[in-house]
Amino acid sequence: MYRIALKMLFADRGKYVMLLSGLTFATLLMTQQAGVFAGILEWTKGNLKNMRAPLWVVDPKVEQVNEVKALRDTDVSRVRSVPGVGWAVPMYWGILQARLADGTFKPVQLVGLDNATMVGRPARMVAGRIEDLRLPNAVVIDELAIQRLSRGRPRPIGVGDLFEINDREARIVGVCRTEMSFFGYPYIFATYDQALQFAPRVRKMLSYILVSPAEGVPLATVAARIEKETGLRAYTEEDFGVSTVRWFFRNTGIPTSFGMTILLGFIVGVAVAGQTFYAFILENLRHFGALKAMGAGDGLLTRMVVLQAFAVGLIGYGIGLGVTVLIGSLFLKKGMPPFSMPWFIPVGTLAAILVICAIAAAFGIRRIRQLEPAIVFRG
Amino acid sequence: MRGAAAIGPGTGTGTAVRVERVSKVFGRGEAAVQALKGVDFEARQGELLMIVGPSGCGKTTLLSVIAGTLEFNDGNVTVFGAGLHGMTRSEVTAFRGRHIGFIFQSFNLVPTLSAVENVSIPLLINGVARREAEARSRAMLEKVGLVGRGGDTPLQLSGGQQQRVAIARALVHEPSLVICDEPTSALDRENGRRVMELMHEVARAPGRCVIVVTHDSRIFRFADRMAEMDDGRVARVHETHETYEAGDH
Ligand SMILES: Nc1ncnc2c1ncn2[C@@H]1O[C@H](COP(=O)(O)OP(=O)(O)O)[C@@H](O)[C@H]1O
Ligand SMILES: [Mg+2]
Repeated sequence: MYRIALKMLFADRGKYVMLLSGLTFATLLMTQQAGVFAGILEWTKGNLKNMRAPLWVVDPKVEQVNEVKALRDTDVSRVRSVPGVGWAVPMYWGILQARLADGTFKPVQLVGLDNATMVGRPARMVAGRIEDLRLPNAVVIDELAIQRLSRGRPRPIGVGDLFEINDREARIVGVCRTEMSFFGYPYIFATYDQALQFAPRVRKMLSYILVSPAEGVPLATVAARIEKETGLRAYTEEDFGVSTVRWFFRNTGIPTSFGMTILLGFIVGVAVAGQTFYAFILENLRHFGALKAMGAGDGLLTRMVVLQAFAVGLIGYGIGLGVTVLIGSLFLKKGMPPFSMPWFIPVGTLAAILVICAIAAAFGIRRIRQLEPAIVFRG
Repeated sequence: MRGAAAIGPGTGTGTAVRVERVSKVFGRGEAAVQALKGVDFEARQGELLMIVGPSGCGKTTLLSVIAGTLEFNDGNVTVFGAGLHGMTRSEVTAFRGRHIGFIFQSFNLVPTLSAVENVSIPLLINGVARREAEARSRAMLEKVGLVGRGGDTPLQLSGGQQQRVAIARALVHEPSLVICDEPTSALDRENGRRVMELMHEVARAPGRCVIVVTHDSRIFRFADRMAEMDDGRVARVHETHETYEAGDH
């Protein structure tokens, strides 16, 4: 009978296509929008992914990694003196204007790495050597910078080329690969001292102190000690990420607007799939009545309807997810717009689709259970 | 299971259906309609019994009660020895699936299924595996004269052919009781005659009974007996059908 149930639905082309489109569209809307939103959240953690360190020490008022309240230079030595700290180095991060060959300006994110250790350096170099940052005016740019800063040149900017940051000459000594970040600007790496030369002079220039605990000392212990003894905030990489995401939820309308779209996808799913499925049940009520008369019990009919609803739900989900993956991989290839697909998006969407199917099936089942088999004898 | 040994006095054939003092009221209060007013009535094994009477007299209601598709208020209905009045809803449902074949006025074939699939439904409901169910369905379709049309959907068949698919579906699980409501009303004269010849033959099978509700006088002559209903009661039962042969014009 289950095969019969599926055939009843699949052979009803119009309804089947309508149902499938509704569920596919709902899946697409939910996963795609959730994916873009998850991508944005990943981007907000860009600094954490591009400049790796076990602990990030910042001003106590700082809640997220894209926000800087400059520290005193002396804070580095205060942190170093906390027992259990293995090493602690300064890092500069700021948004500056780069001047292109055609005279226009583009914003860049300048990162100043500790001169001696270069802690927080980019993980992957595509060209040149990071050590060459110690040469005068040297910078390492990322691949995004090649796209953004090449305007007005006969060929793409590369190692050996010059450009200006904040009216000072910068010489490219290497190209690295970075992850996209919240601002979406290219990363330019320099030594800490060189970065301070590029950046406009202000009283406090230190953005983060990057810290590693001494061998065998747990991260949490060191973090707690630093906070206690210096009054600064010490985040582990993970905590800083969580705090950053939380900050975005609390302080921007982005989650709400995506949440609305995702909810809309769900509602469209319920509305289209629910209504179409109910129409399918109503249209076939005579046949369900005949099945009932011929001895099909409510249990069997319920299982048939559940199968119908969930079969079309899973197929719609599959197609929707497939299209999302296709679109998503296109986004990721282009680097724009943000996109990320952590496991809970497909799983959550699947749950939502199953809820939609359950709702649709429930109405149909209710109708069928109320059905008097005697209706088959009525005109 | 009472009445299993109920043999009609002097007939030599067993009782197929016994209806005793059955009443049925639709709705309640002001709008209540008493469709059956204490019906007493019997159908025998091996016969084709027609229930006739003016529109609204309760034929369909009586048929539904006998078929176990409609709950009734009072009285006893015994079908091949089993008392429907003493069964739970799900027992009645299971009983219908095993022992009763249905032929509906509007065929009620599922348009998206092939003839074979439609016919196999009663077997599938009874838990027969698909392969066997379809093989038996194909054989049954051949018996009703639809050779090689098993793969066609109802829309590819004529009205007469559709009704024969419905007949095959009603018989495929070898039910004891076959119930037909106005089986010829959607057919032309010639197809109606063929369908009734088939039904007449079906009723001959041992241990079977066919009950047909109709007001189509052209088919009266196929009845072994006729129960004439009037206003919620079975008024008369005719042993022969000569009276009505004149109606077959
Ligand atoms: N479901 C129902 N609800 C209310 N009244 C009904 C229902 N079914 C039948 N009736 C009434 O019961 C009476 C008998 O109907 P029915 O058995 O269909 O007659 P017939 O088949 O002889 O034309 C009619 O008066 C009809 O209006
Ligand atoms: Mg009727």
